[in-house]
Amino acid sequence: MFATADAGLAGAAGATAPPLNSFRHYRHLTLELAISQFKLRYTQSVLGYLWSLIKPASIFAITYFIFVDLFKINDGTKVYGMELLLGIVVWTFFAECTASSMQAIASNGGLIRKAYFPRSILVIAASLSSLFTFIINLLIVFVIAVALRDIDLGLRIVMVIPLLLELYALALGISLFLSALFVQFHDVSHLWEVLINLLFYASGVMFSLTYVLQRLHLAVEVGATTRPAPHLVWIVQVMVANPIMQIIEDLRHALLTPVAPWTELVVSGHLAAVKQYAPLNAAWEVPVPFLVVILVVIFGALTFRARARSFAENL
Amino acid sequence: MTDRDLAIRVENLSKRFRIPLDRSSTLKHRLTHWRSASRYRSLEALLNVSFEVRAGEFVGIIGHNGSGKSTLLKILSRIYRPDAGVVTIEGRVSPFLELGVGFNPELTARENIFLSGAILGLSRPELHRRLDEIIGFAELEQFVDHKLKNFSSGMQVRLAFSLAIQAHAEILMMDEVLAVGDAPFQQKCFDTFNRYKREGRTVVLVTHELGAVTTYCDRALLLDHGRLVADGDTADVTAQYRHAIGMAADGSRPEAEMERWGSRDVVITGVRMLDSRGVQDVDPPTGGSVRIELGYEIQNDGVADFTCVLWLLRADGVLISESSLPVSQYAQVGASQRGSAGTIRFDIPQLSLLDGKYSVDVELQGRRDTTPYDHLKNALHFRVVDRRERRGVIEPGGVWSVVRADQPGDWPDQLASAK
Repeated sequence: MFATADAGLAGAAGATAPPLNSFRHYRHLTLELAISQFKLRYTQSVLGYLWSLIKPASIFAITYFIFVDLFKINDGTKVYGMELLLGIVVWTFFAECTASSMQAIASNGGLIRKAYFPRSILVIAASLSSLFTFIINLLIVFVIAVALRDIDLGLRIVMVIPLLLELYALALGISLFLSALFVQFHDVSHLWEVLINLLFYASGVMFSLTYVLQRLHLAVEVGATTRPAPHLVWIVQVMVANPIMQIIEDLRHALLTPVAPWTELVVSGHLAAVKQYAPLNAAWEVPVPFLVVILVVIFGALTFRARARSFAENL
Repeated sequence: MTDRDLAIRVENLSKRFRIPLDRSSTLKHRLTHWRSASRYRSLEALLNVSFEVRAGEFVGIIGHNGSGKSTLLKILSRIYRPDAGVVTIEGRVSPFLELGVGFNPELTARENIFLSGAILGLSRPELHRRLDEIIGFAELEQFVDHKLKNFSSGMQVRLAFSLAIQAHAEILMMDEVLAVGDAPFQQKCFDTFNRYKREGRTVVLVTHELGAVTTYCDRALLLDHGRLVADGDTADVTAQYRHAIGMAADGSRPEAEMERWGSRDVVITGVRMLDSRGVQDVDPPTGGSVRIELGYEIQNDGVADFTCVLWLLRADGVLISESSLPVSQYAQVGASQRGSAGTIRFDIPQLSLLDGKYSVDVELQGRRDTTPYDHLKNALHFRVVDRRERRGVIEPGGVWSVVRADQPGDWPDQLASAK
């Protein structure tokens, strides 16, 4: 994707070199790196791959207990358990992918100082290795959902593919940005830890946007008579703009939420929720998450590109 | 030189490193010191370097540590960017500088071949096709699916080498590849390099092995503090380098000056080196016995026990060994009155150093606070002569032997325990 992001000598210094290797070669190298990282992640542990199931499963168990058993909240849907599980699996991928890809440059100093290849390959490989885990986990969730008959299969399942691409693009964009900065400023790992904890609650992992709007009396149906408190508007604003919220909502819509056949491809889960958003009730809110993803990818790639040329010297 | 013959052309190449004076890598520091963000020391790694290499040439780059050799190689292989100048390269450059780039000890030999091979520019089908050849050449047939961490260093080098020679680069860059491996391995390297030469491939080699440069290279480049100071016939260039670092027999190189610091509660009154006959200031031979003597005098009554530390260094500053007076002997030198004096001796029964120039630093330091009472840098200079002209830094005193067996299988499988 960013194969030429930091290509070679050509540039300010005016050096020329023939194109060393084709795009195909770098794609091959990326896959080799991703596969070995995936293998390495689970060697030397007894439970191996099971660990990547235990992590989301434990979050699921505790969240389910607190919300369903303790607070008797079930999000107003019959499939809250599945919605929660799906949200947690998506979130685990995002958190794990960004955290591990952040180290991709800094932890491969030996390789960067001794061999030439586009540096972005290391970040892409690290994120792909997380993606493999995610896809496997997603398939497991799918099997569970089918077994429990908690799934509503329809034509809109095809939306899963672009949604996963959007999620991966977002995670990769952030990873490129973080990994490039991490080389010089180790602060970013701490900063990201803080941000990701906040983001968890703004991403609708445990509840849908519709539920938040209803609880806060911001939805149209409830009839908002008084103006909501400004901080509530602000918080909802962040949730509406948050692409992870949108992706999780839309994935739930595509797989779990029963809908009338005619709304299948027309209305996404996120769009449906945003439409209920009384204070603004504006159509321009809808594409905001997509714009965020595009900006994050561009900004991440540009930051990476600007810093990649000096990685070998700074490591 | 026609353009068709050209492999590498470097014109006015310069590279400067900015070394931050305060190595703080936190945002807080950046934010609080944003005004003084430019606290760097500049290091000119390469300055106006120009040269050309013809296709099929075998070029050796030599120079002392920090002369810019590796930086030059890294720029040629696109790992570093030049600050100024133009590098033109005709042909496919090997994208790696060392053997075994990308090897991971937790992966098996087979997995490492695919991973490291991908970095070297080989595709998976290609590697599949050549897997037997690579494993065979490395003589590791039985260990294909063993993890690399269970391999001896020799086995790892063999694997790395047999993989590296599969790369189809037309121009090969090698950084200190000869530093690893034993003599047969080095021979194997050069056999391969000679084959490359016959095939018209270009090899650029950075090495400290001057003998190798004169034997195998067509041409040598000498770098000194980032400048190209010599370019030409290997014999001339290596002679110039030997002269510059004081390896020549004439010993014309000025010795580093003595430096001295410390509180002077105890002072060093003299340092000398004696050979086995008690003769001072001779060049000791390898294997000979040597005594270093240090005279001291106590200047203050309050001095507690003190010790003596001695550093033995090679002429280029590499620390060969550090040694200090054992604790049990502290009392002999300490607890004395002002004005008392004595001699501390350091005996080396068999000097294991090989040919070269060496120096000695000494220090008298307090036992409790390790404050230097008196430090003498470059207190002694001496030259070791090895009559047998063995190569290297030290003579480890190893003993060779051969045990013959009539049948194989007697030898315990090195990896048996790892299965």
